[in-house]
Amino acid sequence: MERVIVSMQDPDMGMKMRNQRLLITVIPHAMTGRDIVDWLIQKYTITEEEALHIGNFLVKYGYIYPLKEPRNLCLKQDETPYRFQTPYYWTSTRWPASELDYAIYLAKKNIRKQGELIEYEKECYNALHKRINHTWDFVVMQAREQLRASKQRRKADRIVLECQEQAYWLINRPPVRQIRLYRLVQSDRRATVVQSDVMLYMWCLPLKNKLCMFVWVCSFVKYCEQYQDHDPIMQGCLPSNPWITDDIMYWNMNSETVTMPTKLRVERWSFSFMELLNDPLGRKELLTYLEKEFSAENLCFWQACEEVRHGEASKIAAKVDEVYKQFLAPGASRWVNIDSKTMEKTLEGIKHPHRFVLDDAQMHIYFLMKKDSYPRYLKSELYKNLLAKAIVPQETKKSVFPFMRRQRHSSPSPALVTQTAEDNGKAKPSAAKANAGTASQI
Amino acid sequence: MPVDWGADMGKDECKTMLDALNKVTACYRHLVSALGSTSDSQNLREELKKTRKKAQELAVANRTKLTALLKDKSISNDDRAEYERLWVLFTSSMEILEVDMKRSLEIGQSFPLKVPTRHFIQTGMTGSTTTVAARAMSVQNMKYEADASIDTADLKDLETEIAQVDQMMEEMEMKVQVAPWAVEAKQEAGAELKSTVSVGNSSVGVISVCEEEPKEGGEGEAGLMKVFAGIIFTAVLLIAGILGYLVINL
Repeated sequence: MERVIVSMQDPDMGMKMRNQRLLITVIPHAMTGRDIVDWLIQKYTITEEEALHIGNFLVKYGYIYPLKEPRNLCLKQDETPYRFQTPYYWTSTRWPASELDYAIYLAKKNIRKQGELIEYEKECYNALHKRINHTWDFVVMQAREQLRASKQRRKADRIVLECQEQAYWLINRPPVRQIRLYRLVQSDRRATVVQSDVMLYMWCLPLKNKLCMFVWVCSFVKYCEQYQDHDPIMQGCLPSNPWITDDIMYWNMNSETVTMPTKLRVERWSFSFMELLNDPLGRKELLTYLEKEFSAENLCFWQACEEVRHGEASKIAAKVDEVYKQFLAPGASRWVNIDSKTMEKTLEGIKHPHRFVLDDAQMHIYFLMKKDSYPRYLKSELYKNLLAKAIVPQETKKSVFPFMRRQRHSSPSPALVTQTAEDNGKAKPSAAKANAGTASQI
Repeated sequence: MPVDWGADMGKDECKTMLDALNKVTACYRHLVSALGSTSDSQNLREELKKTRKKAQELAVANRTKLTALLKDKSISNDDRAEYERLWVLFTSSMEILEVDMKRSLEIGQSFPLKVPTRHFIQTGMTGSTTTVAARAMSVQNMKYEADASIDTADLKDLETEIAQVDQMMEEMEMKVQVAPWAVEAKQEAGAELKSTVSVGNSSVGVISVCEEEPKEGGEGEAGLMKVFAGIIFTAVLLIAGILGYLVINL
């Protein structure tokens, strides 16, 4: 974008500049939105839509700022005036806008406006005062000095300076309040109230973005609410966090091959079908249920397709062949019910097997299971019994006497272990030693 | 008591030096923000160089003074708290100065003066920055004596100076054990509004032009007032002249 801006400065081929008239002062180097779009179209031979899009980016990233409505950061293709931003205030990841600078800016504005700051600026000012209180003297001193320095310039230049700084801070500290998601998640009110809070916080976005943002935010909030009880950091994990107490019971209880799962785990299966399928125990339970319903071949087919997708490349052809024989061939032992169009397409593809040839069929079966078998499974006796029988682990009581607590030894870093192994040329024995070492501390 | 008087002298000296450093930092920032724009010129580069050198001299002087004061173990707790506050002021100033120096290097490199194909950004600023630089150097008028290749030659100096400043700040952090977050500022929120006599009033009318149109009337009024005053002044002069003429002739 910087190159575009620099090429706009060319006195022969660049932008046509006009003068901005402000009662008595005349400030040069203003341009209209229409001029910008026309120049972009001409220089890069692009369509009007593209030129408008690029122009919008130039404004949103602060290379050009509007003169009439500074808060409305978009390019209008009419007579609205714009001006270039000085290179010092260009957006750059090397020089992010710092809190100290923002505090100085707000202090300057406070002085100029004799205390009449806008609402959100007042909030930011107070928040900054608390956060960087130790340098507040410096902020005040520097604000005063910077104002005195700018008073040395001509009036026109002073106006330009203020507009520049204001534009810079409108981009780097936009007046949108942070959506305090944590607060929304903590509240147990329903989504309707969340909607009103969210709409309040997004007033400055254009409508299309507002809707997308709103949909995304609501789904994210719902996700957070659902998973909040299952998050070991938010709710703590029972019986105890292995990283803290060196007690691996939590992992043992949640391992893949346990006989009785924990209640939280079983509950999570009801959140989405993917959760159920991703858990090996869940998959096993689903298989038992489907066998009763005589539709187990769906799940087996799905699993076989997964193996083709994620397995070794050399074995793909053989696996696809097997899948065909078992599930897709007419009269196969475990024939799956796929619609004719997908079946034709898959059979065509099997002639030249590759990793993703069974994707369509797998997707079809997945949605079939999701819409049909999954809800029935959740309502079934099998699931409900399991949920009732699932264990809720007890939190281990912390021992009263501190000297009774097990000493915590940090296990040797794997990096160190492998390095010494390379040095000595004894790879396996030392790895085994390390494993034995960690096991012995349990 | 001689000890306290000496300490007060030390504090006052420190404060004046810090004020000077603060002023130069503010002016330097102002000058750097003009780099690359239409108010850029050879003079600006020279001004930047001079301001920078002055800032460095002040920085070194401040640092020596403050480290000497802080290393003195015999000072009272109040004094120590005050020196720590001054130290935080000093380090914040240095932070801003360092960032501005690095940025001026970057922008200076992207906008060399003598290349005809590289044009300055037309930002609307057309005045010169002489007065700002004069303020920084505490002189009445700036003298310009640099040659045409100042932009490239100066950049090399700038790189070495940035390295020096980096090193100085590292040393400072090592030698002086001051916890910046433990310092309490003397000014409370909104303190800048209190002594705004020299700063506030004359700029009020100018500013609002950027924001809302209705306030443009305020700016116009200030201009009209000036015109009115001028008219009255010339009228008084005329009357005095006429009266003098009459007195002489009669």
